[in-house]
Formats: sequence, structure tokens, C-alpha cells
Amino acid sequence: MELFLAEKGIYFLTLLLLGVGLAGIIVCSNYMKKLICMNIMQVAVIFFFLCLGQKAGGTIPVAMDSMINAADYINPLPHGLMLTAIVVSLGTTGVGLALLYRIKDRYGSIEEKDIIEREREKK
Amino acid sequence: MRKVFSVIVICVALIVPFAMFEVMPQIGDPNSAPNSHVSVHYIENTQSIANSPNMVTSVIVDFRAFDTLLETTVMFLAGVCVMIILAGVYKTKKRVIDPGESKMLRVRSGEKVFRSINKDVIITLLQPMILVYAVYVLFHGEVSLGGGFQAGALIGTVLLLDAMAVPDKRNFPNITKGTSAMIAGIGTFIYATAGILTLIGGGLFLEYEKFPWNVPLLEQHSIGILMVEIGVTLGVAGTIVTIMNVLLEKVKFDK
Repeated sequence: MELFLAEKGIYFLTLLLLGVGLAGIIVCSNYMKKLICMNIMQVAVIFFFLCLGQKAGGTIPVAMDSMINAADYINPLPHGLMLTAIVVSLGTTGVGLALLYRIKDRYGSIEEKDIIEREREKK
Repeated sequence: MRKVFSVIVICVALIVPFAMFEVMPQIGDPNSAPNSHVSVHYIENTQSIANSPNMVTSVIVDFRAFDTLLETTVMFLAGVCVMIILAGVYKTKKRVIDPGESKMLRVRSGEKVFRSINKDVIITLLQPMILVYAVYVLFHGEVSLGGGFQAGALIGTVLLLDAMAVPDKRNFPNITKGTSAMIAGIGTFIYATAGILTLIGGGLFLEYEKFPWNVPLLEQHSIGILMVEIGVTLGVAGTIVTIMNVLLEKVKFDK
């Protein structure tokens, strides 16, 4: 059991984090909270990718003259991909916040209940 | 109903990995699938092909430079999108909510007494240090840890601290949203220019060996990586400042 947790337990934890984000998106009725939960989901995906890049006995991916084997360094590919993913998530968060401003300006609230009420009043 | 549904979703999401655990690679296994195919090529050839000891930098701006070009474009477009979405006609004055009774509770709000040493002194001291570190990270991103994205985020952080910590006292000149979006666009254009120069030299897009000037082969890779990193830095910093400026325009700090 301990060996199993050491080898594959981290997948369970990242999926738990993904589940927390997903549940938040479904349950919360405040759009700001939904945006925060979307960020939590992004973090879970980033963790999942970084887990795949881990190597036992590997060091940071900066090449040194004394070590030339590929087994001496951890996998740089997930780190490179996730570096760009983090920065792009900043852009998507900015766009999400701007859309929240627009919603607040139009409906006077970012609660889902109030917005649905407003829509019904119009009809 | 919604809560029941969410519980079902979470249960499914947690049960599925138990069924898939046999397929997933072990943590830390050097021979697993993600660690064995193309990443070995990247690790072994990072110095001989890309002339950059930092493998992450060589992966994102040399081996996969085209990918990063489009990522930078996405950042620039996100900044422009925020500007367009919030370029509406509504006025800022409407948005200010009168604090009302709660203002009476905050006795010292906005007074000079309320200012702390942290706001007045430490931030002014920290800003140049963060800027120096950003420049270090940018120009050392090739040989040690760091890179363009991190440097851009640091420069953006400095301007964000400047604008948000003490709103009525600015240490840096105020950059308008148009200027900062233009900076982000210039950064993306520098990146694309690196590709166009290699086309002029007779190579493929972003093939750094074919720069039109006459320097050794590995040096050309270094020049290409540095050019791309400067472009990425300007792009990221410009986008952060754009988003911050546009959002701050709609906010009024109560005094």
C-alpha cells in the first residue's frame, strides 16, 4: 500500500484538486467564485503535467559538463509547456474579470439568481 | 439537484484513475513513456544544437519556438480583448458605491497617519531590486534558470506594485493602456521579426542557423534565443500592465 501511494498516489491528489474545482464551478452561484474555481482546475492540470516530468535521482534541467546522461536531469518538456500555460492562464483570467465587469454593469450583480430574475423581468 | 450532480461528477472523477492506475507511469521512473522519447533528444542535444545549457529555455524558444510564438500572440490578444470588452460607454462615477455608515467605522481611512512604513519606504526600496533581478533573469535565462516569461512577469509586478500599493503616489511614469498594449504588440513583433530574418537568410521560419549576418553557428542560436526572449518579455510585461490599467480605470479608491 505504501509503495502504491509513493508510486501513483499523487495522481489521486491532483484529481481530487480537479474535482474540487469542478464541484465549485457547478455549485457556486457567484460568478467570481466560478472564476476562482476555474483557476483551481488549471492548477490541478499543471500539477498533473509536472508529476509526469519527475525522475528519481534527477537534478534541475541545467546542463553541466560533468553529467551527460539523460537520466541525470528531470524532464524539461512538461516544465516548458506548463510555463507557457501559466502565463496564458493569466491572460484568460484577465479576460474573465473584464467579462465580469460587463455583467456587473448590465445586471447590477454577479449572482446567478439575480441575473436570472432580471432576465425574467424583461420578458 | 446541482449539489447531487457535482458529487456524482467528483466520484466518477476519483474512481476513473483507480481503473487507470495500471496504465499511468510510475512517479520518478526514468524509463516511463513521457521521460523516454523526445525529451531524451532535448536533454542530450541542448548544448550541441541550441547552445543553451538551460534545457527549459532551449525547449520553449529553440526546439518549439513556433509554439511559443503563438502563445505570445495569445497573450497579446488577451490584453487587446480586455481593452475592447471594457471600452464601453458607461461612466466610472456610476460605479462608485457610497460607503455610507461603514465609513464611520473606519476612523482613520485615508489619513496620513494610516500610512505605514511598508507602503511608504519598503516598496520604493524593493522596486529597483525587482527590476535589476528581472534584467538578470532575462539575460541569464539562457545559461541558468530564468527566461523571458519570468522576466516579463517581474517587470509587470513592479508596475503593478507601483499602481496599487499607494494609488496617489507613483514612482514610475504613468503608462496609459494604449502605450502598454503597443509595447506588448512590439514584443510580439520582435519575436516574429526573428522568424522573418531567418527567412531572409534563406532558411525556414525561426531556423536560427540561417540569420543573415556572418557569425559562428552556435552564436547565431544565442542571438536568436536572446532576441526571442526580449520579445517575450516585452509582450508579457505589456499585457500585464494593459490588463491592470484597464481594470484600474473602472475602480475609484475611496479617500
